[in-house]
Parts: sequence; structure tokens; C-alpha cells
Amino acid sequence: MDDDQLDEPLRSAARDYHAAPEPPREAMWRAIEAQRRVDRVRRPAARRWTAWAMAAAAVLTVGIGIGRVTVPDAPAGPTPGNPVAAAAPAPRVNETAYRLTTVEHLSQSEAFLTLFRASVRSGTHEQLASATARQLLATNRLLLDSPAAENRRTRLLLEDLELVLAEIAQLSPGASADDRKLIREGMERGGVLTRLRTVVPAGTTSTRGDL
Amino acid sequence: MDDRELIGRVLAGDPRAERELYDAHVDRVYRLVYRMVDDPHRAQDYTQEAFIRAFRRLGDFRGESALSTWLCSIAISVALNGLRTLKRAREREVNIEDAPAIGVRAVEADPDLKTRLTHAIDRLPEGYRTVFVMHDVEGYTHQEIAETLGVQPGTSKAQLFRARARLREALADFARD
Repeated sequence: MDDDQLDEPLRSAARDYHAAPEPPREAMWRAIEAQRRVDRVRRPAARRWTAWAMAAAAVLTVGIGIGRVTVPDAPAGPTPGNPVAAAAPAPRVNETAYRLTTVEHLSQSEAFLTLFRASVRSGTHEQLASATARQLLATNRLLLDSPAAENRRTRLLLEDLELVLAEIAQLSPGASADDRKLIREGMERGGVLTRLRTVVPAGTTSTRGDL
Repeated sequence: MDDRELIGRVLAGDPRAERELYDAHVDRVYRLVYRMVDDPHRAQDYTQEAFIRAFRRLGDFRGESALSTWLCSIAISVALNGLRTLKRAREREVNIEDAPAIGVRAVEADPDLKTRLTHAIDRLPEGYRTVFVMHDVEGYTHQEIAETLGVQPGTSKAQLFRARARLREALADFARD
């Protein structure tokens, strides 16, 4: 089949099919490089999340093990004659995992907002702020819909954090210094950073946070 | 420096190696993507996306094909997905029977051979067009096309045969003139 060539005029014309102009090499590289910088920050974060998940699983396993050893044998499962057992609430085994995840998220948000505020003060242009804010915003919204938000204090903090992250996420690369300053002032008015630092002890993402 | 050494440096986190890899392959990738999409902005977006994906997945590259082939397979995948998304969006906006094929420019009243051929290639089914562009326009071998598209070389040959037949048919009246 390969010798079934088109006639030479057609072959010649085909070579000009959607002929490409000079590639915008530098413009493309700038975009790739920016995304790679984000990737390099995210990858260790993803590894940390995995570590957190494994730690949470280990904690759960130990907890369940201790529970089995220390709690006396429960009566057999619900029966028609035992409505109390049937109505017993399901154990909330994920509380620790949600708590760990929330502390990790708040810790990352605190670090991000600190950097953002510093960049606004110094007048430097932080190109990756919006992308990072969007990523944190997605996690924030998931946490708001999770049992983690059942704690009133945590929910209020996540709600205030959502507003700040949403504003930063909507910042365009050409946003004025005034826009950034307004966000910073809003952040300071709500005491978001201070409250974050209260629940996330400095230099740690451990479960010691007061949530 | 060979591809393996360059890949090793990229995987070790050397940003300069990423730039070297990009410089070595960007022209070929961009040219192929542009041939497929015929739009400078989309070609730029898809090429960027292809390299970003390639850097992310570089650890999975097993060296079973040339690095350039592997990069092109990612680029083709990104471009075709982009074209399908665009086509779906356009179909939602206009009556499907009135919708022009993606990338098709309006046919002039008295088109020359190149315009007619461009129009005919644009109207080829996606698989035929991809193989035709890669083989007859860009000069890839059937083996390279097969590795890039994840098909057998025989499939590539068959699709090229059918693509050429359709083009001959579409340009038959032109040939008679």
C-alpha cells in the first residue's frame, strides 16, 4: 500500500498543509517553566499527604485495636428484640483523619498567606499566587463539606479562609497593587492569619493544633 | 548528550536539563501540533501542555521508543483531545449540519490546488488525517506512526491508503480540469 503515492503536484501541495510559523519558543517555555515550579512545590506536598494518610490509617488501626482489647464484648448484632442496639450510632472512625487533613490544610494556607502578604508589602509580583490559591480553595471547600466543619470554630475559620482564597484565586496577572492591597487588608481585618497561627503551631503540621 | 542521560538529569531535578530537552524537541512537536490544529494559539497551548505532561510522566518513559516519538504521542493525544472538545463545543453552538469541520476555512469561489487539498485533508476522518499528516506531510515512517499512535504499522498503512484514496476522490474534478 505504501507505493500508492499521490501525484507529485498533490504531494507537493500537501507539504504546505497548515505550514507552521516560527514556534513561540520563549513564550511556551515561560508557561512550561511556571507550571513546573508549581509541580515541584506540589509533588512534595502530595508525598506529605500520602504520609499523612498513612499516619492517619496507622492511628485508626491502633485505635480500633485498643478498642477491641479494652471494650467488653458487645451483645450480638441488632435483633428485633434489641432495638437499642439497632439504633446505636455508627462509630465515627474518620474523625482523626479529618482532623489531620484539616491541620495540614490550614498549615499550608498559613504559609501561603504569609508569603502572599509579604509579596504585597514588598510590591513583588507573585505569578503563581492564583494557581496556588485555587488549589487550596478546592481543598478548603471539600473540608467545609466534610465532618471537619462540624466544629464551629473550624467552620468559621474555613469560611473566612475561603473568602480570602477566592479573592486571590480571581486575581489576574495584571491585577493592580491596589487590588492586592485590598485583599491583604481584608485578610488582616478578619484576623485570618492570626487565627490560622493559633490553630497551627509554628513550624509544625502535627496534630497538636487546637481544632 | 543522548536522551537517556538528559532524562536522568531531568529526573534528578535539573531545570537546565528540562530546558535542553525542550529545546531539542520543541520545533518538531510544535510543527506537528500546528499541522493538526491550524491555529497559533491552540498550537502553543497544546505544545505547552504536551511538554508539561511529558515532564510529569518522564519517570514512566521506558525507552521502548525514541524520546521524540514518545513526546509526539503525548502531543498528538493532547491535540486530538483539544480538537474533540472544541468540536463538541461548536456542535452545541450551531446546527450540526451547518457546522464546518474544525479548522476548515471557507472555500474560495475558484480555489487553487492547495486550497482544495487543504479543505479535503481537513475533512478526512480524524485517524486518516493524523496518519496522512504524519506520513505524507511530516515524513514520519509507519513504524514511528505506529509507536506514536499505539497502533500496528499495518493499520497506519491502511489508513494512509484510505486517506489518499479519499483525497483523490475529493480532487477528482480538479484533476480532470
